[in-house]
Amino acid sequence: RGGRGGMLGGRRGPPGPCSLTGSPPQALVDDTEDVSLDFGSEEELALRKARIRHPLATFFHLFFRVSAIVTYLFCDWFSNSFVACFVTVLLLLSFDFWSVKNVTGRLLVGLRWWNQIDEDGKSHWVFEAKRVPTIAASTEAEARIFWLGLIICPVIWTLFLFSTLFSLKLKWLALVIAGISLQAANLYGYIHCKLGGQKTISRVTSRLFGTGDVPQRQSRSISEDKTEEHGKTVPR
Amino acid sequence: FPGLADVSISQDIPVEGEITVPVGSHSPDEDYSTLDEPVRDTIMRDLKAVGKKFVHVMYPRKSSALLRDWDLWGPLVLCVSLALMLQGGSADSKDDGGPQFAEVFVIIWFGAVVITLNSKLLGGTISFFQSLCVLGYCVLPLTVAMLVCRLVLLAGAGTVSFIVRLIVVVAMFGWSTLASTAFLADSQPPNRKALVVYPIFLFYFVISWMILTFTPQ
Repeated sequence: RGGRGGMLGGRRGPPGPCSLTGSPPQALVDDTEDVSLDFGSEEELALRKARIRHPLATFFHLFFRVSAIVTYLFCDWFSNSFVACFVTVLLLLSFDFWSVKNVTGRLLVGLRWWNQIDEDGKSHWVFEAKRVPTIAASTEAEARIFWLGLIICPVIWTLFLFSTLFSLKLKWLALVIAGISLQAANLYGYIHCKLGGQKTISRVTSRLFGTGDVPQRQSRSISEDKTEEHGKTVPR
Repeated sequence: FPGLADVSISQDIPVEGEITVPVGSHSPDEDYSTLDEPVRDTIMRDLKAVGKKFVHVMYPRKSSALLRDWDLWGPLVLCVSLALMLQGGSADSKDDGGPQFAEVFVIIWFGAVVITLNSKLLGGTISFFQSLCVLGYCVLPLTVAMLVCRLVLLAGAGTVSFIVRLIVVVAMFGWSTLASTAFLADSQPPNRKALVVYPIFLFYFVISWMILTFTPQ
């Protein structure tokens, strides 16, 4: 933490000439209007500009959820059998749960949650948020699609729950409850990831961007750490 | 350094060693940089984990694989196949087997949840989903029994077939109960083991009863 503060407040080297070839900047501006610095290959540039960088993940994120809902609503058109509909919707819900938890979450919004069991058998729920953006990071459009899909579908399944209860078609109750629990679990997990990430970020920034000079702040934050570690009752 | 004045290193002793830089915990983000490959890897890894657990149930040994990496895919598949095989076997065959299917489902999952809650209330150290995982996977012998029963019933429904079915179901029931208690009873303090084993016994007994009394229409 102290290191990060140092980077923010420390002195950078004097800026060199902004051209890559070593010739004086003026000549470069005269020759060409726009200077495009080559960050990478053509592929990466296209990736940067695309609004949806993971088309397959986006498709599958919505495909399983929406087809589960559609199958549940229109199963009478496809077949008379309750069992076939039940099994189909259940399988679609399970595939959706797995793909949203393991694939689309980390690809579309960089969040991930899982359960770990350590040596003595205690289970921990781990919520992780990616902080460093990479080239293949997600775009706003993808994030919007992800969150909309994540929030709207459990709401729809809750509506199905009430309609099942009030129309007394209780044989569907098991399926609707399974649907709600699977989708709500993903929703809860990802919201926990998102809020957890924001909390730690705001804690770190409030410590670093406090009042006063940065170098002093940096050393103070280190000593604060020390007093916090060694005993909470030590008066400052 | 006066103390080191008389230290001499002979020149033919090679100085060798290893410099290993401990890599910090491998962040899972770096593993997945493309979409195609890792998803296939993820799927294969999960499938292999499920397969390994099925093998563990058939040959129950005290291993922690079933306990550490729990997953509920196996129980789901077993529950669905058992419910599919059990449907359409009731007296009133007016329905398309709907309620019976949902019944089997609810009995298995609700029963497993109740047993898990019971073992947690008795002070067990196993976690909720681990227990569900073990109970679900140990339904495998009973699913095999159901398959065998259906095949035997194809041949005929007389006394001989009933005796064969009875033997098979009792054997598989014993296997399921032993397999699950091998995993679950360890997490309990010693004087509570019977209190934990009894609901498991009851749970598999109910499923075995459903299998034994199944008569196709």
